[in-house]
Amino acid sequence: MYQVQDSSAVVAGHRALLGRRTAERRIPRTVVLLGLTSLLTDISSEMVAAVLPLYLVYAAGFTPLQLGLVDGLYRGAAAFVALASGFAADRRRRHKEVASLGYGLSAACKLGLVAAGSAVGAIGAIVMLDRVGKGIRTAPRDALISLSTPPRALGAAFGVHRAMDTTGAMLGPLVAFGLLALAPLAFDTVFLVSFCFAVAGLGVIVLLVPRRSARSAGEPGPSARVAAGLLLVPRFRAIVVAASLLGVATISDAFLYLALQRHLGLAPMAFPLLFVGSSLAYMLLAVPIGRLADRVGRGRVFLAGYVVLLPVYASLLMPAAGLPALALGLALVGASYAATDGVLAALAAATLEEQVRGSGLAVVTTATNLARFVASVGFGALWTWAGLDTAVIVSGIALVTAILATAAVLVATRPEPAHA
Amino acid sequence: MHSRGRLFALLAAVCFIVAAGAVVSAVIAQRTGARTSAAHFAAFERPYLVFRSLSAKAGRSPSGELAATSVAAPGRERRSSGRICDRLHVSATGGICVGRGDSLLGAYEAQLLAPDGRVRHSIDLSGIPSRARVSPDGRYGATTTFVTGHSYAAPGAFSTQTLLIDMRAGKVIADLESFTVARAGRVVDAADVQFWGVTFARDSDRFYATLATGGSTYLISGRVSTRTARVIRDNVECPSLSPDGKRIGYKKLVGTKGKTWRFHVLDLASGTETPLAETRSVDDQLEWLDDGHLLYGEGGAIWTVPADGTGAARRYLARADSPAVVR
Repeated sequence: MYQVQDSSAVVAGHRALLGRRTAERRIPRTVVLLGLTSLLTDISSEMVAAVLPLYLVYAAGFTPLQLGLVDGLYRGAAAFVALASGFAADRRRRHKEVASLGYGLSAACKLGLVAAGSAVGAIGAIVMLDRVGKGIRTAPRDALISLSTPPRALGAAFGVHRAMDTTGAMLGPLVAFGLLALAPLAFDTVFLVSFCFAVAGLGVIVLLVPRRSARSAGEPGPSARVAAGLLLVPRFRAIVVAASLLGVATISDAFLYLALQRHLGLAPMAFPLLFVGSSLAYMLLAVPIGRLADRVGRGRVFLAGYVVLLPVYASLLMPAAGLPALALGLALVGASYAATDGVLAALAAATLEEQVRGSGLAVVTTATNLARFVASVGFGALWTWAGLDTAVIVSGIALVTAILATAAVLVATRPEPAHA
Repeated sequence: MHSRGRLFALLAAVCFIVAAGAVVSAVIAQRTGARTSAAHFAAFERPYLVFRSLSAKAGRSPSGELAATSVAAPGRERRSSGRICDRLHVSATGGICVGRGDSLLGAYEAQLLAPDGRVRHSIDLSGIPSRARVSPDGRYGATTTFVTGHSYAAPGAFSTQTLLIDMRAGKVIADLESFTVARAGRVVDAADVQFWGVTFARDSDRFYATLATGGSTYLISGRVSTRTARVIRDNVECPSLSPDGKRIGYKKLVGTKGKTWRFHVLDLASGTETPLAETRSVDDQLEWLDDGHLLYGEGGAIWTVPADGTGAARRYLARADSPAVVR
């Protein structure tokens, strides 16, 4: 076992030495395999996410409000699990194992849904465990991506991963509704097929993703103090602050699509199509924009990702334009995802020492998730009390302010050009 | 590394086979369900009982399958059709199965069944199904749904919609609210008028139903052809006309605290009211087993009680509700 790993490390080292240039341009096998894991897992979880509201309302009489509240709580819980798992993965140098645990937990949850029937308490617990699984796996997996990729190609690597991830997220609902069309109300079958996808995804990471080079296996992991000191690193702190500020100022997806749908007077049935449209753009643009970020600077591309949202917000305040304008708007939203999600991970990873990658990426994930939660609550409240136009104007002003502040902070902490 | 690759190939193959097997079996279950239903209406000698067979799986959402059994030996042989209904009623010439449609959003619909069990028409319903009836000759049907609220037990907190349906054309004839109803010589035109629980006479044209207004319920007698009805008695809910057309079984509100119902039988000619031996408060529309006995669903089983007030209620069929006797 050890020998196999040692020799693979040697081979990897050889390759790195021999083909330094090509190695930097090519996407590492580990990244593609992790992308495949995410693709399969996302098919699995989005299958369930697409039918679960239907199932809960049908089987358990949940109201949308209950659903939303419970969901918000679970997301919050997952954010803090993420911090713990990121640190644990660094501490034990077991990114692959910790990420696998997260994938495994989510896979087990799909099987749990088959067994739970309509017991509300059981479904609630399973949905929570599923979210915890997501919280556990995200930071160690992103750390694994960043650790398997040469620094210059980080943007492209995260781009490839996110493109595959989004492909899975788009396929999941299609598979689920395809199954329900074949066999109406066969929720058990949907859950079972979802479980199969999850197990296949788990199989990819457990069986095919190589463990990281044994080089550092003997060294002790970082102490809690080192991990806690992360925020003292100026560049990293700047990135966390920037991501949080921008996150708070952004209109959350669901509200943005709701606003677009209202503004354009689209039928409620067309609502899911807005998600499909922007996801399609995200999927197509993730890799090219990731590569672009590697070339022209990740900070710039990251900021540009928020700048492109401004015309979309502006369009909400202007008279409704036709379908081409909507298509352009969705493309811009997709481009914004492509320029902010994976690029942020690449941006943060580049500033983090290898030994604290997991912890650092977990801090970024948690900060952005909390920021999004605040944004969601804030925008919802504004919309309710002051109307949609006011809410959009306030968000627009906040976003412009956040972009300017972020630009200042990122420029002030810019690393040496040679390192960029 | 090689062995792990092989292990993964094996795992992927197992996943694929399990997933494909689950899908194929679900599709086959769906298909066979549709096929057996075609054969089952003529399964037993008349009279036979069609009912909703409740799944034995505990903790599941209660899904009820349209099923049939013999009246002489109820439950000895249960033939399930695979058709899922929330409420059903069947006569010799057709039936109504109110359930979730095949649409992905699963809105309720009234599936109008041909004598062989195939769905001839379906009509979209709004709200949660409560009652369904088919006239003895299968010409008309009626459904009641809760448009808001979900129980008759909270006065003022629910509203119902009762539709009369032309079974052969597959069309809604009218919402009962569009009928002209007279009470003591005056037309009832209050805003809070609601109807539920229709029962048809042998000629199909005459029907009885519950009218509610001002916090009270009334028995109305009407005609489909003239779209009129009149109040004939107070405090009657969910009437059910006997096969001989002389009596009506119904639930009557008794006591002052909360909603407590007792089953009664009304002799239409004399106006005599007889309380039945069932002592529980049951919320169901009665079905006549024969001229001497009634059936109703309570607590996941079908019960029977004599129509003359004697004897006692006894369990007739386990794991079942929504009884309909095909004569």
